[in-house]
Amino acid sequence: MAEITTPKLNAESHLLLDQPLLRLPYELSRRTFKNAQRYLDRDTKDLLATLQTTTASATKTSAPTATLDALDAMIAKMQGLKRKLEVLHDDENKINKSSKARIAHLQELFEVQGLEDVRYEEWSRVRLARLLVDYLLRSGYSESAAHLAAEKGIEELVDVDAFVACQKIERSLREGRRTNEALAWCAAHGQGLKKVGSSLEFELRLQQYIELVRAGHEVDGGDGQKLAEARNHAKKYLSGSGDFELLGKAAGLLAYRPWDGVEPYASLYSPSQWDHLATLFLSTHHTLYSLPPRPLLHIALSAGLSALKTPSCHSAYTSASGQANTSSKSVCPICSTELNELARNVPYAHHTKSNVENDPVVLPNGRIYGSERLQSYNEKVGTEKGWVRDPVGGAAGEKWRESDVRKVFIM
Amino acid sequence: MDDLREQVELLESTANLTATINDVQKAIDLLAAARAKIAADQQTAPLTLAKLQGPLKQAMEQATKDLKPIYSGLGKYGKALDKKFKDKPLPTAENDALSSHPQLINRAIAMHLLREGQFSVASTFLEEANRHPPHPEPTPNTPNPYLREAWEKEMADGSFNSHKLQKQFEEMYHILHALRQKKNLAPAIAWARERSKLLEDRGSNLEFELCRLQFVCLFVGRDEEGFMDMTDSAVGPLRAWAYARSEFGPFQGRYARQVQELMGAMAFFPNVVDSPYRRYFYNDSAWEEVANSFTREFCSLLGLSADSPLYIAATAGAIALPTLLKLQNIMKEKRTEWTTQNELPVEIPLPSSYNFHSIFVCPVSKEQSTDQNPAMMMPCGHVIAQESLDKLSKGARFKCPYCPSESHPRDAKKVFL
Repeated sequence: MAEITTPKLNAESHLLLDQPLLRLPYELSRRTFKNAQRYLDRDTKDLLATLQTTTASATKTSAPTATLDALDAMIAKMQGLKRKLEVLHDDENKINKSSKARIAHLQELFEVQGLEDVRYEEWSRVRLARLLVDYLLRSGYSESAAHLAAEKGIEELVDVDAFVACQKIERSLREGRRTNEALAWCAAHGQGLKKVGSSLEFELRLQQYIELVRAGHEVDGGDGQKLAEARNHAKKYLSGSGDFELLGKAAGLLAYRPWDGVEPYASLYSPSQWDHLATLFLSTHHTLYSLPPRPLLHIALSAGLSALKTPSCHSAYTSASGQANTSSKSVCPICSTELNELARNVPYAHHTKSNVENDPVVLPNGRIYGSERLQSYNEKVGTEKGWVRDPVGGAAGEKWRESDVRKVFIM
Repeated sequence: MDDLREQVELLESTANLTATINDVQKAIDLLAAARAKIAADQQTAPLTLAKLQGPLKQAMEQATKDLKPIYSGLGKYGKALDKKFKDKPLPTAENDALSSHPQLINRAIAMHLLREGQFSVASTFLEEANRHPPHPEPTPNTPNPYLREAWEKEMADGSFNSHKLQKQFEEMYHILHALRQKKNLAPAIAWARERSKLLEDRGSNLEFELCRLQFVCLFVGRDEEGFMDMTDSAVGPLRAWAYARSEFGPFQGRYARQVQELMGAMAFFPNVVDSPYRRYFYNDSAWEEVANSFTREFCSLLGLSADSPLYIAATAGAIALPTLLKLQNIMKEKRTEWTTQNELPVEIPLPSSYNFHSIFVCPVSKEQSTDQNPAMMMPCGHVIAQESLDKLSKGARFKCPYCPSESHPRDAKKVFL
């Protein structure tokens, strides 16, 4: 009754998990390009302006050393620009190379014959390594991630550097309680942030304001200097937001001190704000770089656990199949220690047809086996002729007469 | 894919910063030339500078212009990516039922690394994971984490017994290495002999297979460490004979026939190649088979599956994902998510090698048997689910839906698949 179907491999739809693989380097390339553009624009403008003023002053006065100095400065500036562009050019080459490696890696999938092709298995193992590295990076285990990538030789297929940079900023918020790194990041990604309508920069500025106010209150007697600074900060960065409810709350901070414990001010003063900022930064970063919000490993595993899980995997009764009591079978991966607990909460797979071994027979204890497997097991353990043992019970377990074994019909 | 590759190659070969960098260099050259001129004759300063304006501006404009191909190249590549992934949305957090158990995932990864033999990565990972324990991030709408915290605690306080597991897998790789690379059976045989009883209970013939291979090895002239001994062609069979006499005793009961065959081969020792026993002695895949069978037994005795569950599950997940995403789109309209259901609503086609358990689907109700609704066998030998049995019988004698026989529901017997 066992159905023999080998599902086909549809390479196109199989790429669902692999979009970020190409998206991230693409976003990085765009970032590199924009940086180049920015440097060039700014320095060109500066250069031409300096040249003009130098020309003007050279005609009026004749202080030759000043002119030469100005020219030297311009040359130095251009050399600086060139160096910066060269660094970007190196990045660009690196990114293009890794993009090419990734495309070639995905291309391999299109050349695989089917799911039972050995090459699919190889490919899938590389994919697992990629997913693991992605998971490790997201969990902040960058050393392990780099180590695994190096050991598997897949450095070009994973984005250790991008994640390490992201993680540094996240930690500066969560643990260092500093906004400067994150603000610098915002400045570099201004356009992108505007496009997705992110509130990250505003929230960072708000936090700066909160910290100024806190400092103002904590300075004993408070001459108001810090608080004045806070007010200026708010005027400069916050007043433009138009969120008057929030601005009202912010203004209230000036009146309520952190230790007064009055809501909603207490929660604005709370250190959990930093966790919130760190989380907000991560989600903003991931959106901007087209990274999925959760590790891909989670996504693949949840789906896989469900697809493999059967009601027997968490049954209170020992099933006749699946357990490795007989050496012909391997332990089911969901029953295996690694995944058993994880799979407890996911739904089990849907089946519309029974799938049992050929020619099933039932033992007096209710366990059903394929008669061939039962027979070969009993031969191997050397059960006496005319008797049968249950593989679950083992060679020392209960035995029955062969005549007590009944045929069972499973439709 | 070809389209994408062409676009990247284009970026790599032509649409890059090289041109712009050269333009900037030209500007530097212009500036340097002007400086040299002014340094030589300071009177020319105003004129030189005035003359510099135009060319310098041009050079910088050219530099900006040379950025354009990159811009358009990136644009085209971006479009090609969009096209490639048009109907493949990024998986969202809704498909993630696991964020509430980061400890369990970490443990699974640690075990995966160990069983793959990546011991140094595993120790880096365990060290880092213990230094920064993960925070659970439960996904809304997924079931509450099942808390049997023993494992989570073990991971958290660092007592997750990776050491023991690592030792075990180190042993496994040591034995496998000896088997595969050195053709040395001794460590494997020692391992199997220690667990002789356990293996026998499982109906495993690993120990015999190993000893048989050892016999064959000796016969064709390897010594017990796997080295070829070429001194004398008769030495091999003699050694094998001695080995058989000392080691095959315990196998006489269960493997009498196989032992007889090996002994029979002795008669052909000058020319086994042409004898009916050739297949035992010149079988290249025998080593790989024995190594695989050893791996399976080794893992099974640890209660683990032979291939990494993480690998199998991630692969099955990738196969299942297209179907599940399609399903998710349909279910979104009904405002439910599949992770909240007991059973997936659709069948996922997996290769047959991914079936590990027998499946019983009640032919009446079309539901799978569970602990609450077990499979019941009627006296006639047909099997239906408990609930179907109750419905059909209403507690009284009833006719089997598949044959003419009648029975009472209390005569039905619970069966296990």
